Amino acid sequence: MRKTTVVLVAALAASSLSCNRAAPETTDKPKVALVLKTLNHPFFVDMRRGAQEAADRLGVQLEVQAAEREIDVEKQMQIVENMIQTGIKALVITPSGSREIVSALVKAQTANVPIIIVDTRVDEKAAAEAGVHTETFVGSDNYEGGKLAGAHVVNVTGGKARVGILEGIPGHETGDSRLRGFRDAVKDAPGITVVASQPANWERDQGFNVFQNMLQAHPDIDTVFAASDLMALGAIEAIAAAGKTGRIKVVGFDALDDAKKAIAAGTMDASVAQFPSEMGKAAIESVVKAIRGEKLPASIMVKLEMVTKESLVRR
Amino acid sequence: MTGSSRLTHARQFGTVLGLVVLSGVLWALTPHFLTVPNLLNVAQQTSINAIVAVGMTFVIISGGIDLSVGSIVALSGVGLGAALQGGLGLPAALAIALGIGVTCGLVNGAIISWGGLPPFIVTLGMMSIVRGAALVFTEGRPVSGFDPLFRSVAAGQLGGVPAPVIATLAVYLVAHVVLTRTTFGRYVYAIGGNEEATRLAGVSVRFHKTMIYAVSGLASAMAAVILTARLNSAQPIAGMMYELDAIAATVIGGTSLMGGEGSLAGTLVGALIMGVLRNGLNLLGVSSFLQQIVIGAVIIGAVLVDTVLKRHRN
Repeated sequence: MRKTTVVLVAALAASSLSCNRAAPETTDKPKVALVLKTLNHPFFVDMRRGAQEAADRLGVQLEVQAAEREIDVEKQMQIVENMIQTGIKALVITPSGSREIVSALVKAQTANVPIIIVDTRVDEKAAAEAGVHTETFVGSDNYEGGKLAGAHVVNVTGGKARVGILEGIPGHETGDSRLRGFRDAVKDAPGITVVASQPANWERDQGFNVFQNMLQAHPDIDTVFAASDLMALGAIEAIAAAGKTGRIKVVGFDALDDAKKAIAAGTMDASVAQFPSEMGKAAIESVVKAIRGEKLPASIMVKLEMVTKESLVRR
Repeated sequence: MTGSSRLTHARQFGTVLGLVVLSGVLWALTPHFLTVPNLLNVAQQTSINAIVAVGMTFVIISGGIDLSVGSIVALSGVGLGAALQGGLGLPAALAIALGIGVTCGLVNGAIISWGGLPPFIVTLGMMSIVRGAALVFTEGRPVSGFDPLFRSVAAGQLGGVPAPVIATLAVYLVAHVVLTRTTFGRYVYAIGGNEEATRLAGVSVRFHKTMIYAVSGLASAMAAVILTARLNSAQPIAGMMYELDAIAATVIGGTSLMGGEGSLAGTLVGALIMGVLRNGLNLLGVSSFLQQIVIGAVIIGAVLVDTVLKRHRN
């Protein structure tokens, strides 16, 4: 029976071996770790594609890893610890927790690995207390994105709307900034009231459930702002289930392919487009500069754009 | 040596052999695996799951299951975090964290014992209740930023060995003595082996069962202390799916889900196999999707080996 164990483990090892051979360890290319929040979200898949293309072009050996679940910052920390052991020359990371990740960054810094933050900022206070220095931040300004969405709502509703908001996971810098931007943009329009605001934790099914409940409590909602498209798409299903398609404007964030389809079909009004593949590209370009010892700007902002039916037609 | 204990030993040997072979394979595949800093990393990364699995082992040996451990990790953690930030001092904060864990466990155990409900249902319900309590208490936000004294729970070292590793070994030593050398420990096996017979022998099964779930709550709370120190933050969403990792470590370690047999030594090795596997797959650059497949295969494989072994012995 011991043999069974050996055979089993050997078989597993062989399967890992074949994966390993795709990326041989002996190479003069600098090895860089790209640690994402997750790989089961189109946003991060796009980011990875942009990063991989830049890495191939610039001669960087890119190791991409992500936790199984987006919110699992402890697993992300384990990945960082493990990647440091493989002699990486730089760490590119999208933190799953703005404060929690600092402990992992301390370890990278101690190992003299330069750090580049993408998409979600590290909590400045926590980083300063731990003495963590990051080379640069690559991302789009979520606050400005939220403002863009808010201004759009003011614009298309003529400054008169009853708004329901679907929030991301509470305490996440990304979602909080988008909401702040949105609220700041609509607060000067006296005709716009936020009647409900609830977290749907970035997820499509929760977007459906939470908005369905919201609609029960506030049947007069005529506009939805979701801090991400997945939640917005969930809300669209809930609107369809309530037979209110076309009577409620839905504004999302991320401009995912599914969201663009919904916008083209008219079930969704607009979405704020970020360019994750541009982020990935800019991050790897920054890595190359950081390894060369060049000084980088404190932040590299990637453009934002409002995607509407008109803008899709124009393309 | 009785037949059943010989069986347990043979099983543990199989699990240890699995760990050794796995390590050997990783050593052959990557030069980064068998280094002192990396092995200390693995030990540290394994500590949280290993400690949660201590409680899970008690529960599973007694024929039960505890699905609420991950939520208890979260609630104990945020209780600890809030107490520390409220300026209560480390000893009081630790007492609160452990108190929360034990209380949740007692509630689980009491409903299972006196309510006569299946452990699966009760702890499933508690998983949701306790998670909700953590979210309500914190309004969904993490509690973070603690003083260096508390952080040394995770960052401290003794002779180069990280504090969480020392804590894990201490917990296993104490729990092993309790499970194998005390009356309570014998009752854990007896209840899992034949609950009715144990009751007829005059043992207060209800009381001891309740205590078993309290042990599980306590173990989860101890894991919460390490997790909170490690992240310098207590998250109400922490610990999701920890119950599955702990169950996996326990069954890989040879504890039977039918109850009545198992050992903590096996569970520790089971937790190490999972830790080594995750670490090794990271070092090899295996994609996170493939990692899940491999880990799942190892869980099934380990239990399959066990079952085949048992059939041959019989």
